[in-house]
Parts: sequence; C-alpha cells; structure tokens
Amino acid sequence: MIELQGRKALITGAAQGLGKAIAELFVERGAQVMLADIDAEGAARTADALGPQARSVRCNVTNSAEVAAAVQATVAAFDGLDTLVNNAGIEIVKPLFDNSEEEYERLMAINVKGVFLGMKHALGPLAASGRGAIVNISSLAGTNGVPLFGTYAASKSAVIQLSRTAAAELRPAGIRVNAVCPGFVGTAMVDRLIPTVEAIVGVPFSALVAVKQLRLGTPREVAEMTAFLASDAASWTTGSHYILDGGLSAGLL
Amino acid sequence: MSSSPLLLQDKVAIVTGAARGLGEAVARAYAAEGARVVVSDIDAAGAQRVADSLPGAVAVACDVRVPAQVEALVQAAVDRHGRLDIMVPNAGVARVAPLIATSYEAWRDVTSVNLDGVFLCIRYAAPALIAAGGGHIIPMASVTAKAACALIGSYAAAKAGVVSLAQTAAIELRAHKVQVNAILPAFIETDLVKAHRAEFEEQLGIPDFNAVIAQRQGRYGTPEEVAQLAVFLASGRASFSNGSGYVLDGGVSSSLL
Repeated sequence: MIELQGRKALITGAAQGLGKAIAELFVERGAQVMLADIDAEGAARTADALGPQARSVRCNVTNSAEVAAAVQATVAAFDGLDTLVNNAGIEIVKPLFDNSEEEYERLMAINVKGVFLGMKHALGPLAASGRGAIVNISSLAGTNGVPLFGTYAASKSAVIQLSRTAAAELRPAGIRVNAVCPGFVGTAMVDRLIPTVEAIVGVPFSALVAVKQLRLGTPREVAEMTAFLASDAASWTTGSHYILDGGLSAGLL
Repeated sequence: MSSSPLLLQDKVAIVTGAARGLGEAVARAYAAEGARVVVSDIDAAGAQRVADSLPGAVAVACDVRVPAQVEALVQAAVDRHGRLDIMVPNAGVARVAPLIATSYEAWRDVTSVNLDGVFLCIRYAAPALIAAGGGHIIPMASVTAKAACALIGSYAAAKAGVVSLAQTAAIELRAHKVQVNAILPAFIETDLVKAHRAEFEEQLGIPDFNAVIAQRQGRYGTPEEVAQLAVFLASGRASFSNGSGYVLDGGVSSSLL
C-alpha cells in the first residue's frame, strides 16, 4: 500500500464524488493531499475526516488567482507539490442546442479552462519535484459523441488534447501528463442526470447501463486508475488517456 | 514494496513468449507479486531458465501457432494448480521489410504468431478462466496498432488485430467476469530494434534513429515498466477496465510532431 508514499498531491473538486474518492485512496496509499473545492466547507469536512495527511483550500478553478493560491497552499503545507489531479467539473444534460450561450461558457470555463489553469500554475513546483505527475479527469464522453452530453463531451475531449500536448511539452521537465476516461460511474452527478436521461431516451437508466456496461463503475475504481497513473509504476505512461468503462466503448451496439 | 500486501497472491498466470524480453519481465513482476507463473515459450530451455529463477514457477514449452499446443498449455496450468486466473498472450515476432518486399511466407510467419497465437490463447484460456469464476486476459499489442512505422507493416497489422480481438473477447466474456485489456507499448530497446536500427534509418530517411527516439519519447521504455501495467491490469484494482487498449509509450503516439 505504499505506492504513493511521500507524494504531495493537489486534487481539485475534492469535496465529494470522484475527487473525494481519489483523495481517500491517495491518503490510504501514503500521500499527503490538499483537497481543493469551490465548496470550502465541504472540502474542509472531507479533509478533516481523512486525518492529518489531508488539508483543504477553497478554489474556484476558473479563477487564475485562486488556482495559483491553491498551488501555493499545497507547496506551503507539504513543502512541495509533485502530483496534480484536475478533477473539478460540471455536467449539463440537455439536447445540444438547448444549451444557452451562458451555460456553454460556464461549462467550458470549469471543465477546460480549469484544467488549463491547474497545469499552468502547478508546473513550476511539479518540475522542481523531479517526479511530477498530472492526472486529468476526462470522461468516456471525451472520446465519443453522447446525445444529451454535447457540451460536456466537447469539454472532456478538450481535456484529452490538453493532456497530450502538455505531455509532449513537459517531458523535458520530467512531468508526466495523462487523462482518465471513465464510463458511467455511480456518483451524485450521475444520480442527478438519471431522470433527465430517462425522460428523453424513454428507457430506464438501469436497463441502459445493464446493456452497455453491465453495471455502474464505482468512484473507488476511478480512484484506483488515477492512483496508478500518478504512481511511479506508470513511469512510461504519458500523453495517454486510459478508458475504464466495463466494455461500453469496446462494442458498437 | 516492503510490507504492502501482494497484488497477485496465489493467482495462477500463464505468460507466453516469456523466455526473454517483455514476457520475461511480466513473468518476473507477476512472481514478485505472489503469482504462480507458468512460463511458456517456444524456446523450452529459455522458458526453463526463467522458471528456475522464480519461486512457484514452472516452464511449459508452447508454439502458440499450434492449437493443440495452446490447449495443452492451458491444461498444464490447470492440472498443476487446479485453476487459471490470468492469461498473458505475449509471444510475438517481427520481420523488418517494406510491404512490397515482404513475402507471403514472412507475412504468415508474423501473423500466425502475433494474431493467430493470441486468438488461440483467448480461445483455450477463456473456458478455464470462466471455470475459475472469472479472470484476466491481457494480450500484448503495440502502439503500432494505432499508427504505422515503416518496415513493420505485417507486425502492426497483426497488433491492430490483437486490439480488436481484445474488444470482442471483452464484451463476449464480461458476463463471466473475465476482463480483457490490451497493452500497447512503444519503443522498448529490444533486440529487434538494436538489430535493425540501420535499416529503420535508411527506410525512414533519418540520420539517427536514437535521436528521433530521444526527441519523440525522451528515451526508450523498459520491459519492467510495461510489466507494471500488466500487474495493475491483472489486479483487483482495475476491476472496471474491460475491452480497453492501454498505450504506454513515453508520449510518442500522442502528439503529431
């Protein structure tokens, strides 16, 4: 259980859902973790429950100054930063052209600009660490078109391409950059969208999931993939996006 | 890894092409994580040498092109350990030549080992994995399944076939709790790369193959790094992965320039 021993990690969107599961596993595996979230109280509550290896900081990932401050808080708390998990994100579930311009811009600001700012502000300390690892949480929606998830899918595709270019450009600095692309995972985000999907598709969500990927994935399973990519065991992996989806995207139908 | 629990304690694993290279590294990494490894290779003496150096390992000679031999390999694992949990179809060969200078015999030599062999490993291992209540098939593909490299067209085509086989096997076997995920490495400094560096330079029109590697992927990867992914995928930690092809290549395939 020591693969992340000594790692100093900043995780965005860590108050709940995937980010919380990633923070929990990172602590279990020996990392020190800064939980960043726009929900400062939620992040503090989650960090408190994780014990002395965890701290928290408020962070709106669309705000450059707040992202820079979260990076600085991590460096100050742990005497460095070698692992960044850009997880903060939102979803909008509706037919693509029912999105308002404001909805589109807000989603892109959080899901894409947030990842860009996270990497931009963290790359100094990541390079200084000599073992920098960035894991960006994308989605299976980043590799395929998904009805009702059009803006979300576009934003997650952008996360993959940001990761690829960053991998090439940051290689000389010894920083690895990879993306994780989960299929449907049991989180509050998915719970929220179930009624909308069912109303529009006309099929029970459970039946949809049962056919396409047998079951929902768990936040823990996404955390495991994130932990692997953050660890030294993945030293030859950079610029990749690792899909975990129970076989959803392997088949056509 | 000191006191951490072993990731593959008592799992029974077959690794083909394990007398050297990537297969040997996977066999060693699996044994280090507590697996009982069946070290298989067409080179019986080489397989024996690797097995002798690993606790709990045995060697079984196998030509993966021959259905009866692959069937016997799986049976040998089940006879010895009572079950099979992990199959790593890794055996592969390459011929280095432009397509227009590739004989049909050379094409079949490559595709029979690299593609037919993987099919046979899936075909005969799957029933044993199902009987064990689930398990893992982890074929060794290559990043050349996704983008070409001159002179190894037959190899790349076979590896693309391997990725496809992994997808179909994943969706057909997932109800039986069998996970199938392919590994797509690039470039490892194998004997093949060393032996043919000058031909690659000539055919690709580059003065220094190693310099291109340095620019595009920083350095060569190592077999041990590939083996770490094979460990992760066979462990309970990758339980939501199925039908995926995982690239580990130092970034060479992820950017255009």
